[in-house]
Amino acid sequence: MGKQLKVSLIGNPNTGKTSLFNLLTGLNQQVGNYPGITVEKKEGTCRLPGGGKAHILDLPGTYSLNASSADEQLVVESLLRKEQPDFPDLAVVVADVENLKRNLILFTQIKDLKIPAILVINMADQMERRGISLDVELLEKKLNTRVVLMSARKKTGIDELKKQIEDYQQLPVSPCLSVSELDATYFERLQKAFPEEDLYRLWLCVSQDVALKKIDESLLKANEYSERNTPEIKRLQQKETIARYLYINRFLNNAYQVDRTKATDWRSVLDRILTHRIGGYAIFFLIMLLMFQAIYNWSSIPMDFIDQSFAHLSEWTNNHLPEGPFTSLLAEGILPGIGGVVIFVPQIAFLFLFISLLEESGYMSRIVFLMDRLMRRFGLSGKSVVPLISGTACAIPAVMATRNIENWKERMITILVTPFITCSARLPVYLIIIALVIPDQTFVGFNLQGLTLMGLYVLGFGMAVLSAFVLDKIIKNKAHTTFVVEMPAYKVPMAKNVLYTVLEKTKSFVLVAGKIILAISIVLWFLASNGYSDDFYQAEEIVRAQPENTMLSEQEMQTAVASYQLQHSYIGIIGHAIEPVIRPLGYDWKIGIALVTSFAAREVFVGTLATIYSVGSEEEETIKERMSSDVNIRTGKKLFDFPTGISLLLFYAFALQCMSTLAIVKKETNSWKWPFIQLVLMSGFAYLVALGAYQVLT
Amino acid sequence: MWSLQHILVYLAVAAAVAYLVKKYFLKPKSKKERTCGMDDCGCH
Ligand SMILES: Nc1nc2c(ncn2[C@@H]2O[C@H](COP(=O)(O)OP(=O)(O)O)[C@@H](O)[C@H]2O)c(=O)[nH]1
Ligand SMILES: [Mg+2]
Repeated sequence: MGKQLKVSLIGNPNTGKTSLFNLLTGLNQQVGNYPGITVEKKEGTCRLPGGGKAHILDLPGTYSLNASSADEQLVVESLLRKEQPDFPDLAVVVADVENLKRNLILFTQIKDLKIPAILVINMADQMERRGISLDVELLEKKLNTRVVLMSARKKTGIDELKKQIEDYQQLPVSPCLSVSELDATYFERLQKAFPEEDLYRLWLCVSQDVALKKIDESLLKANEYSERNTPEIKRLQQKETIARYLYINRFLNNAYQVDRTKATDWRSVLDRILTHRIGGYAIFFLIMLLMFQAIYNWSSIPMDFIDQSFAHLSEWTNNHLPEGPFTSLLAEGILPGIGGVVIFVPQIAFLFLFISLLEESGYMSRIVFLMDRLMRRFGLSGKSVVPLISGTACAIPAVMATRNIENWKERMITILVTPFITCSARLPVYLIIIALVIPDQTFVGFNLQGLTLMGLYVLGFGMAVLSAFVLDKIIKNKAHTTFVVEMPAYKVPMAKNVLYTVLEKTKSFVLVAGKIILAISIVLWFLASNGYSDDFYQAEEIVRAQPENTMLSEQEMQTAVASYQLQHSYIGIIGHAIEPVIRPLGYDWKIGIALVTSFAAREVFVGTLATIYSVGSEEEETIKERMSSDVNIRTGKKLFDFPTGISLLLFYAFALQCMSTLAIVKKETNSWKWPFIQLVLMSGFAYLVALGAYQVLT
Repeated sequence: MWSLQHILVYLAVAAAVAYLVKKYFLKPKSKKERTCGMDDCGCH
């Protein structure tokens, strides 16, 4: 295999790097609209017109090479460390035509590192509407590089870009600015200390006070250079930025003009409405309300269909395959387990359809801005909204997204409260319980079940904010930061981006959650269909011998035997062992088992109950019907009645029922202390609230 | 048929247990995170 050309896509947030990446590589990608969504590493291969291939890397958005967050640091490191694998042969700097000046700062910095760089000016489709005119040739001359004007949305300029990538060796690598002019004596001394190093690269290494310690230290060790006067470095950094602006201004006024009279100004009007301090919240609330109603109403038909189909399939398997334990495993373990996952696909797809529409249209950034006012009061920042909203998908990427928050305390608080946000794994649990205990009626025109679901989302969000408020008082303060939010233009969402998001999220839900649930349902089925005592093996004889059972019909007898057997299986024994702890919450041993297994992942709760309720039953009945007709032996009432249902909903709203969250918090905070505190507090609180609710309601 | 079904069941259960153990108990050791930028990323 020949060496592939390594290309990094670099640019400010929201300039369309990911969209361009999708176009170049055609891989499935997550595309977001608020700053910092690009956290994970995205790589792909692009075919060049001459037959060669380029390896493309989509880097997180960054404003400059003076890193202030972990995200940006990642970019800077990838450009400074020549020895590491991500070091690019070619940097494609993606700029947005509407914010060209700010974007060029980063470009000149990269050019000064003497990395071959192409300037891509994206969103050319917006130029006419904004009254922008651009002299590409002049820019090319002044910046001494190739400039490609393109639109990822209209797919123009891509071929031109590919050609330029192919010819990257012809790019001039001369720098734009010479840092030594900023302070001749300082830079002379610096260069003398490390004669072999390139001066600008050296300066970046030295000036990244927090970010690049490792490079810095190895440099310092290699040489006795130890002078580090932080205020002086800060002053020089400012000087550098000013010098860059001056440099850019010298030609940009000629090359780039905006005719304001041509620009339509509905954007600022819309901004004023959507971020209004009362109206803004009202609109946000309304949109959320409609979204949850739609999720409920639109997905009920495909869900019922999936539920029925799996019930049919189980019955068919039982009747048509040769009788034996493997057939039972298929019909009572595997199929209900898979069905329990697949049934949530419609709702999850709709949820992410809406979320990605909000992101793509540009509205999400207004939410971030709007919420910043509110968040500040609770020790969070507007940037916390990104993790909190991502938390509706899953706490794990959300906790990772906090890397974008510079302030240690704000980041810590965000990490700690994010698991309260209703994640998609809670959704299956909520949905099944709501279906069981909340009547399917309308209340002033709104579906009661949809309202309950929305209430749970509000509850999770409220709890996150409330605990942030408490933590803000407890955790010691370090420095405070200011908040800059990116306000991208309003756009009609790109269908491709929305589609990719929905497909990717749904796929990862089915694959990740699905595998775990499948494995757990196999193990559960095994534990539920095996036991060690005589009670288990002689269940039939024992039940038949009981005098009160002689009146039962054959059908009832079978059910009685199956349930006796289940109670004395391994799983029954485990469930009974924990029952005393959870009985005050209104749960029986079956729910107890589901609580234990769902610690692996919350959605396992549903799969577990599906498996338990299927073992030993051969009638064609959906799991929901079985659950709803189950009776709590102790109280003689329906097991899933209103008090138990509410208690379960509250328990799952608050408890940290997720091993993976613990693992990621450990990784991000680098200690077991925080995940441990989080687990004890959240689950303890959940227990108390569920207990209180059950006791009050019965 | 009897023994084949039993063998299949035991295979399935063994695979499931192995998967869960690998996923939740062995992960901390075998995990080689490739993300850079954090303190112990192992990519210097
Ligand atoms: N009008 C217009 N919008 C674009 C274009 N390219 C991307 N966008 C939009 O810009 C937003 C940010 O794009 P994204 O690829 O996520 O940017 P990234 O943060 O740099 O990765 C999305 O809403 C895209 O739909 C373009 O060429 N024209
Ligand atoms: Mg991106």
